Amino acid sequence: MRLFEYEAREIFVKYGIKVAPAVLVHSVDEALKAIAALGYPVVVKAQVLSGGRGKAGGVRVAANQAELMEHTGQILGLVIQGEKAESVLLSRKIEIARELYAGVTFDPQNGLPALMFSTSGGVDIEVVARATPEKVLTVHLPPTQPVRGFRIIDFLRGSELPSELLPKVAQALQKLVEAFHASDATTAEINPLAVTPEGEVVALDAKLVLDDSALARQQITPRFEAGTPLEARARSMGLNYVQLQGNIAVLGSGAGLAMATMDFVSHYGAAPACFLDTGGGISSEKMAEALRICLATPGVEGVLVNAFGGINNCEWMGRGIANVIDEDKPKAKILVKMRGHSQDEGWKLLEDRSIPIVKFGTTEEAVKQIVELVCPGSRGLQGKGA
Amino acid sequence: MAILINQKTKVLLQGITGKMGGLHTRYMLDYGVNLVAGISPGKGGSTVGTVPVYNTVPEALEHTAIDATMVLVPPYAVKESATEAIESGVQLVVIISEFVPIHDTAYVKQLAIERGVRIVGPNTIGVISPGKTKVGIMPGSIYSPGPVGVVARSGTLTHDIGATLTGMGIGQTTCVGIGGDPIRGMDFIDVLKEFAVDDETKVVVMVGEIGGTGEELAAKYLEGGYPKPVIAFVAGQTAPAGKRMGHAGAIISGGSGSTASKYAALAKAGAIITKTFSEMIAAVREALAREEAGEKQFLRKGQAVGI
Repeated sequence: MRLFEYEAREIFVKYGIKVAPAVLVHSVDEALKAIAALGYPVVVKAQVLSGGRGKAGGVRVAANQAELMEHTGQILGLVIQGEKAESVLLSRKIEIARELYAGVTFDPQNGLPALMFSTSGGVDIEVVARATPEKVLTVHLPPTQPVRGFRIIDFLRGSELPSELLPKVAQALQKLVEAFHASDATTAEINPLAVTPEGEVVALDAKLVLDDSALARQQITPRFEAGTPLEARARSMGLNYVQLQGNIAVLGSGAGLAMATMDFVSHYGAAPACFLDTGGGISSEKMAEALRICLATPGVEGVLVNAFGGINNCEWMGRGIANVIDEDKPKAKILVKMRGHSQDEGWKLLEDRSIPIVKFGTTEEAVKQIVELVCPGSRGLQGKGA
Repeated sequence: MAILINQKTKVLLQGITGKMGGLHTRYMLDYGVNLVAGISPGKGGSTVGTVPVYNTVPEALEHTAIDATMVLVPPYAVKESATEAIESGVQLVVIISEFVPIHDTAYVKQLAIERGVRIVGPNTIGVISPGKTKVGIMPGSIYSPGPVGVVARSGTLTHDIGATLTGMGIGQTTCVGIGGDPIRGMDFIDVLKEFAVDDETKVVVMVGEIGGTGEELAAKYLEGGYPKPVIAFVAGQTAPAGKRMGHAGAIISGGSGSTASKYAALAKAGAIITKTFSEMIAAVREALAREEAGEKQFLRKGQAVGI
């Protein structure tokens, strides 16, 4: 989950990273009250989760009250990449001698935290890394070992920073690494990390992306990106659901299986209406809700349930499906391919309700069958490749 | 032979007294797994079925040798349980649990590397050497012994491919679910290296999905030459960009992680590309037929096998 700048800034402060004094406001009135504590000039920054706010006019400097009112008013109405700025951060303008970049993330190639640093801060670091890779330094930090200050100073010697700046910059980097670990972040970034004419090192922006799996232990309430009402309903049940445009809903008991089933639906001439992955540990209630969400998906004419009783249990899943059949009497065609633990009990529940089942057949056979049920005489039995 | 586990493997179950632990103890015993002990702090001295329960891994080790452990504990307890197993010298740690924080996985992975221990998972169905044993939660009946090695990120897709192969009369040496998380213990490369030196494995089926770079890294490794045919399938051809498809690691972001880039890398490395299971089965059949005819099959740089 990505945090807003003002939220990330608070976490940075908690771990001792120096930041510019700032106040979050939601209206021009609030801005006028807050300015007394900050003074002019002040930087007015849109609080949005999408990148590129500077280019979109979401960051402006106000030198006096008239400018503060004008900028705050304009930025509060601004829509940046489809996201409306609901608040702005007023941040005291700091004198900048040079702009640095610092970031920590996991290197997907080896799973290690990687600390990145560049003396070319203040611009898009991915552009810097592509054009001049030698300007971005990277060091891997094994999480089994403490991060020593001297190691970071040693790492920074590879940059063009003068010696007298090394300790303070290293300190900021060390605290950033600490914040990265302590907040269960997947990315922690400061761009720019400013050096003032007096040699102070101050974070002028704050980016944190937190690990969704760790939000509970961080005691952070998840905030989800806006989706369709059905996507929100699925999420509240702990189901992974993506709404699409086609006519056949795919309900799988795992992500890869559901994705492959979707691929085959498309391959055999129909189009997936949605992707629904129940995940593991599914109860009959959760299966029922999953099926109801699939049936409620706009445009759906058929539902293919493709499930394994591995960590799940076919009897529980079968009961969930049976309950929906009994209570809702759905009109859309339903085909169930299900096997694994307690399969006989699960199949019996479906057979009692005359739901077609694929017991030992393959996913492709099941896909062909549901395509044929939904669009008889279609290409379902041939496939694109045939 | 099979890889990682065989009928002699002494298996431990961490989290044996949980609801899932109890259920899978039964399934594992039914499959003939040599399940020698279970761990549940505070419940030492009890039993689950016929399996003795100990408070800690060191306590279990006072009574039995342990070759592999299956970690089936709540996600926030995984770091402690896996660390306990690694520090106690268990050589293979299979982490079934889903939603393990990425920082915990990163720590466990690094500790395992430092101690020479192998990790499978998290967020996996585990490992099965059909007909021999399993350290996992898969229904054993859908797999069968034979010459095909399977490595996949998705668990249920591993089931489906195991079941499809079995239905066609084609068995498997070992099936390894490496897990759906972006950071995981053994990756495609590590499992491919094991299959390369396993005499019984004649053909490898590799099942990727969108997101991450594991398939591309595996392709780079295969480009250096590989002693067996590799048949590849990548799920998510119809997945929209920018949407997380169930697994934490399954997302196409910023134009990278698509099936197209993975298929292209694997094709360049000489793997046999398949877009459906029927294509996959046909490719496996052909590779096995050539093998039986005594034909030497291996990947060479820029040269595909079987096409």
